[in-house]
Amino acid sequence: MTFKDQLKFVRQNMKKNKMRIFMTVLATAMGCTFLIVLASVGFGLQETLVKDQLEQSLVTEIQIHGYEDKDGNYHEITDEEIEYIESIEGIKAVTRRIQLYQTPDYKIDNYQSNANTVVAHFPSELKAGLKLAEGNLPEAENEIVVGYNFEEYLTEKDADPEEIYDEQGTVKEAFRYSDSLIGKNIDMTVYQYIDGEEQSQTTSLKVVGILEKPTREWATDSNVYITEGTLSEIEEFTGTLRGSIQQDGEQVSEPDSDSDTYNTVNAYANNLEVVDSISTQLKDENYLTYSVADEVKQINMLFTIAKAGLIFIGTIAILIASIGIYNTMTMAVTERAPDIGIMKAIGANPKTIKQIFLLESSYIGFMGAIIGTIVAYIISFAVNIGLPLIIEMAFQEEVPEGLKFSSIPLSLVAISTGICLLVTIVSGSRPAKRATKIDVLKAMRREI
Amino acid sequence: MITVKHLYHDFELGKKGNKTTLPVLKDISFQVNKGEIVTIAGRSGSGKSTLLNLVSGFIKPTQGEIWINNTRVTDLNEATFADFRLEHVGFIFQNFQLIPSMTAYQNIELPLILKGTDEPTRKQRTIETLTKVGLIDHQDHYPSELSGGQQQRVSIARALVLNPPLILADEPTGSLDSETEAELLNFIKQLNKEMDITFLIITHDEEVASIGNHTIHIKDGKLIAGGVFQ
Repeated sequence: MTFKDQLKFVRQNMKKNKMRIFMTVLATAMGCTFLIVLASVGFGLQETLVKDQLEQSLVTEIQIHGYEDKDGNYHEITDEEIEYIESIEGIKAVTRRIQLYQTPDYKIDNYQSNANTVVAHFPSELKAGLKLAEGNLPEAENEIVVGYNFEEYLTEKDADPEEIYDEQGTVKEAFRYSDSLIGKNIDMTVYQYIDGEEQSQTTSLKVVGILEKPTREWATDSNVYITEGTLSEIEEFTGTLRGSIQQDGEQVSEPDSDSDTYNTVNAYANNLEVVDSISTQLKDENYLTYSVADEVKQINMLFTIAKAGLIFIGTIAILIASIGIYNTMTMAVTERAPDIGIMKAIGANPKTIKQIFLLESSYIGFMGAIIGTIVAYIISFAVNIGLPLIIEMAFQEEVPEGLKFSSIPLSLVAISTGICLLVTIVSGSRPAKRATKIDVLKAMRREI
Repeated sequence: MITVKHLYHDFELGKKGNKTTLPVLKDISFQVNKGEIVTIAGRSGSGKSTLLNLVSGFIKPTQGEIWINNTRVTDLNEATFADFRLEHVGFIFQNFQLIPSMTAYQNIELPLILKGTDEPTRKQRTIETLTKVGLIDHQDHYPSELSGGQQQRVSIARALVLNPPLILADEPTGSLDSETEAELLNFIKQLNKEMDITFLIITHDEEVASIGNHTIHIKDGKLIAGGVFQ
């Protein structure tokens, strides 16, 4: 008997008791919907968290915070280690920055600002994708580049601090420096306590470039990028490493004790696929690293466990529906026993009889899975639109933008359909087996 | 065509732990040659239907051998016997045994479907057979819409549709009036003559028994006359 004929046969049989079949399909569909909707919450929240994580940092970036030696002591990264990291296959660039341990005052004309100041290694920064919006990179020792947002924080010196900021906390247009900074000299003032008294040193620096706007909308860059020569000058004045301000009696490192180490070292991989292997390699070699891939991996691991739990709970609903399928199929076998007897008498193979009943129960499961999936998509859509509104109305709290409560990927549809089919086939297998055992003579005498 | 050798069959009576056996057939041996009509006659309870059920493979004998078309069918398992039946044996039952939810056409088409015959051939074979039994105008009728004689002709058509070399008939005229009975017996003789189909017919009716080339008489589970061996 061909599969097509078996299917035709099953359809004919199912038409004989439409209401019973409909109720069984409905129960299966409800079970399937419950499974999908339940698991979709796990998928939705995972998607939101991972997306959030990926948006907050560069996916190919591996932050290297230091190195742990054999004795378990922590060291900052040196040029020697950077040279090694750069040699790893799949690494595009290794950027390194030295942070000034104070925020100097910057003054230009009647405007001033305090800015985070760093020494960057521009060749590697350019390789990693750094771009200038205007001007060029520093060539002389007293030249600097500034972050894209630096200018926004330059405010009028004598303005009332309460008036210069708007509701969002940004400097109002009227109080901002409005000229171009390129080619202008800007005074940097650093401080130090010498013999208990605050002393300052002002250096004139020339702005030669402005970096491009950070790619992420929420990110700002108001840093000032100085040269190593300028840093040495600051260290010479403060007498401390990286210009840190020395309070009375405080012990600080001497300027040259750790001169070839970096505060911030970031490695950039060629693509996302190699991030994990590079990160693992560095960790194996005692580097202290962090990458968004690690974070995403942990999130995924956590959510995989959560989703498995939710799918398991959802499967219980399908298992309950399977009782209905078992009942329906048992009744179908009993009702059709005389027909089965006749078919067996004229030469139907028991295997064919079994296949027909298994096909019927899988058909119920498949129909239930299709209807259940459609309903689940509708519920998921409604939840994603409706729940934020309900939360806002009921709790007066705004739901984070882009938060997805429910997400139904194709993999979830495949999993639920698979579970649904498996459960229905298993629940239909016993009645199907019973059908093959029907005694031909008893069946034809209508004794079953 | 059919050879039965020293066939015994016992029925088990009672429940587990308190079973008794009732011998139904004792040492039955006979032979049916190709192209013959052989009838098995006997009173009610003589064991003739049990004998046909054994030959059909619906039950297994306690002892003995049955050969059909050079195949020792007593060695076949249920599934293999089912395939063998579909290929080699047609059945005519006393109460027709048609599937009530299927039309005459669908009932006749069923063996072809079970065999996996393609649809155009199926259609052609079913129409041919319906024409042969004179029911082409009743092809869309359900069994409940047909007379006893018509239902039996549908049953015969279903047995014929795969051109089996052997047809086993269990009281084929048992549910028919005398006029229809005569018509059916003539039709069986015609099929035997024209298509060279071998018939093994069970009956308690002497008139039906008389259409056979020879008749096997059974009494109390024993063969009392007609077991021919060549």
